[in-house]
Amino acid sequence: MSIPAIHLSGIIKTFFQSGDKKNGGDVPGIEVLKGITLDIYQGEFIALQGTSGSGKSTLLHLIGLLDRPTEGVYELLGQNTANLDDDRQSDLRNLSLGFVFQSFYLIPYATALENVILPGLYSGKSRSELKVRAESLLEQVGLSDRMDFKPSRLSGGQQQRVAMARAMLNEPRIILADEPTGQLDSSTSSEIIKLFHAVHEAGQTIVLVTHDQDVAREADRVIKLHDGRIVEDERRSKAKPPEADQ
Amino acid sequence: MIGPRLGSRIAGMGLGAVWAFKLRSFFVVLGVAFGIASLTLIVTAVDGANRKAVEIVEMFGPNAALVFGGNFMKRAVGMRTLTLSREDARRVKDSLPGAYQVLPMRAKRGQTVKAGNRNYQDVLIVGATENYGEAWNWPLAEGRDISEEDEKLGAKVALLGDTPSQELFGEESPVGKVIYITNIPFQVIGKLSYRGFSGGGGNMDNRIIVPLSTLLQRYNLDRKYFRALRVKFHEPDYMDAHTENLRSLLRHLHHLQPEQDDDFTILTADEVLKFIAMFKGGLTIFLGVTATIALLVGGFVLANLFSISVSERAEEIGLKKAMGAHNSAIMLQFIVEACALTLLGGVLGLFLGLGLGQFLSRLDIMVIQFSWKAFFMALAGSQVVGIIFGLKPAKQAADLDPIQALRGEG
Repeated sequence: MSIPAIHLSGIIKTFFQSGDKKNGGDVPGIEVLKGITLDIYQGEFIALQGTSGSGKSTLLHLIGLLDRPTEGVYELLGQNTANLDDDRQSDLRNLSLGFVFQSFYLIPYATALENVILPGLYSGKSRSELKVRAESLLEQVGLSDRMDFKPSRLSGGQQQRVAMARAMLNEPRIILADEPTGQLDSSTSSEIIKLFHAVHEAGQTIVLVTHDQDVAREADRVIKLHDGRIVEDERRSKAKPPEADQ
Repeated sequence: MIGPRLGSRIAGMGLGAVWAFKLRSFFVVLGVAFGIASLTLIVTAVDGANRKAVEIVEMFGPNAALVFGGNFMKRAVGMRTLTLSREDARRVKDSLPGAYQVLPMRAKRGQTVKAGNRNYQDVLIVGATENYGEAWNWPLAEGRDISEEDEKLGAKVALLGDTPSQELFGEESPVGKVIYITNIPFQVIGKLSYRGFSGGGGNMDNRIIVPLSTLLQRYNLDRKYFRALRVKFHEPDYMDAHTENLRSLLRHLHHLQPEQDDDFTILTADEVLKFIAMFKGGLTIFLGVTATIALLVGGFVLANLFSISVSERAEEIGLKKAMGAHNSAIMLQFIVEACALTLLGGVLGLFLGLGLGQFLSRLDIMVIQFSWKAFFMALAGSQVVGIIFGLKPAKQAADLDPIQALRGEG
C-alpha cells in the first residue's frame, strides 16, 4: 500500500493547564491521549467514536493541526508535522485540510458566497476563480438561490451545507468533521451525510467525529476511542448492511 | 510573508468588519475625531499666529513705536485715554534722540462717504500729520501723501485706503476726485496700496486719511489731544533704549511722580510679538492638553472596544485560523480595522477642527488657515493612535489558541 495520508505513531497528548482545557478534565497534567498509533489512507471514510472525554475531539484537533501532540510522531501527507512552524501548518490547513464543525462557524456579517470563499482568500488564488468555484460548490450543495444570504437567514441545515462548501473550496485531500450533524434533526442530518458520501466518492479522505450511530454506520471504517486509547478499529465495505453495529 | 494580493484581501476583511460593527466604529471614530480636531486647531492656530506675527512686524516696522493715551495694562475705571497732547508730539519730535518721524493720529469710526451717486458706510477716518504712508511703511499706489502744508492749512484733502477707493470708484483712479465725508467735501490726493491685512482689527484697507488739523476742526474734536502717536527711530538695534527714552520723556512731560503708573502705553513690534507669543503659548498648552486627552481617550476607547471585539469575535478568529490564516494575517486584519477607524476619525476631526477654526476666525479670535501640515499631522496622528492602541488587541487576536477561540473563549 502507498504511504498513509495520516500517520500517527505513539501520540500522547497531555494538558498541563487546568480549567481552560475542558476536553481532558481540569486537573493539571492530565493525559488525554495515551499513545495513539493509527494510519489513515487516502480515500477512507472514517468515523471516530467514543464517549465524552475519550479524547476523540482532541485527536481530531491534532490531525487538523489545530494543536500539537505532547509526544509521538504525526506525519501528514508524508511530512513530519513536528518540523513545521506555525505558518507552514497554517498553509497545510489551508490547502490540504477542510474543516466542518458542529456549530457551523459562519461569519455572521458575510454572505453565504463570501463565507465559502474565505479559505480561498488566504490561498492566493484569483478572486474571480474563487467566485466561480464557490458558486459551483454552493450549487452542488443545493444553495444556488441562497448565495447572497447572510447566515442568519439560513436554516441550520443550510448553514452546514455552506460550511461543507467552504471546506471543499481549496479541494483539500482531507475533510475533518467534528459532530457535523450534532445540531441538526435527523432528516437534515441525512442530507449532510449524503454530501459527505458525494465528497468521499470524489476521492477525498474523511475523518468524522460523531456519536450518532446512524452517521457512524455510513463510514467504511469505525475507530472507537476510550480513555485516550483506540479500543476498536473496524473496517467495513460500504455495501455491508448495518447489522454489524449494536 | 504577506504579499500585496493577500494584504489587500485581509485589509478588505478589516474594512468589512468596520462596517459590520457600526456602533463600535462610531464611538472610536468620535473619540479620535475630537483629538484630531484639537490637534488641527493647534497646528492651524499656531501657523496663523506665526503668519500674523510676521505680518504685524512687517507692518509695524522694527524701528517704530506706537504710543496710545491711557494705560492698557492697568486700565483703571474712568482713566483718561486722551493724555497725549500736541505739545507732547512737538517735544518728542524736537528732543527725543534717535527719533526722526513723529506722527500724531486721531480717528473717527463709522463714517459715511459719498462720491457722485455712490455711498459707502462705516469707514474709519484717520487724522494724521504729514507723511502717513512713510510712518506706517505703507506705500502709496498713486498720488501723493498728506503734506506739512495740508496740515498747517487744515486742507480738505484725503488719502484713500484701497477699500473705500474700490467702493466709490471701482477700478478708476480716485485721484483728483471729490468725496464727501459726512457731507464735507474733500479732494482725493492719493491712494494707499492694498495691504490685505485683517483679523483682530478688521479690514486695514477700510480707511481714509485726512490731515489731523482738518479732522479736529471739521468734526469738532478736542484740539489739544490726540489718540495715538507713531514714532520712528534711526537704528532699530537700539529699540529698547529708544523706548525707554520715550517713556521717560513722556512721564516727564506728564509730570508723573515715580510712584504713579504711566498714563500712556508704548507698543513696539517686540511688544506685539510678546503678546502673540503669550497668546500662542496659552493656546498651545490649552489645546495641546485637550488634544492629548482626547486622543488618549479615543485610543483607550479603541483599545477597549477592540479587546471586547476580539473576545466577541473569537469564533471568527478561530475559524479563520482553522481555514489557514497566518497569525500575521489576523493581526493585520485587526490593525487595518483600527487604522481605518482612526483614519475616519482623523478626517472627521480635521474637518471639525477646520470648521471650528473658521468659526473662531469669524469671531476674530484667531486666524485659521488650512495647511497641508495640519492635514498630514491629523492623518499621521490618527494612524499613530490606531497602531499604538490597536496593536495590543490585534496581538491578542493573533495569539488566540484556535481551539479555544472556536469555543468562543477569547
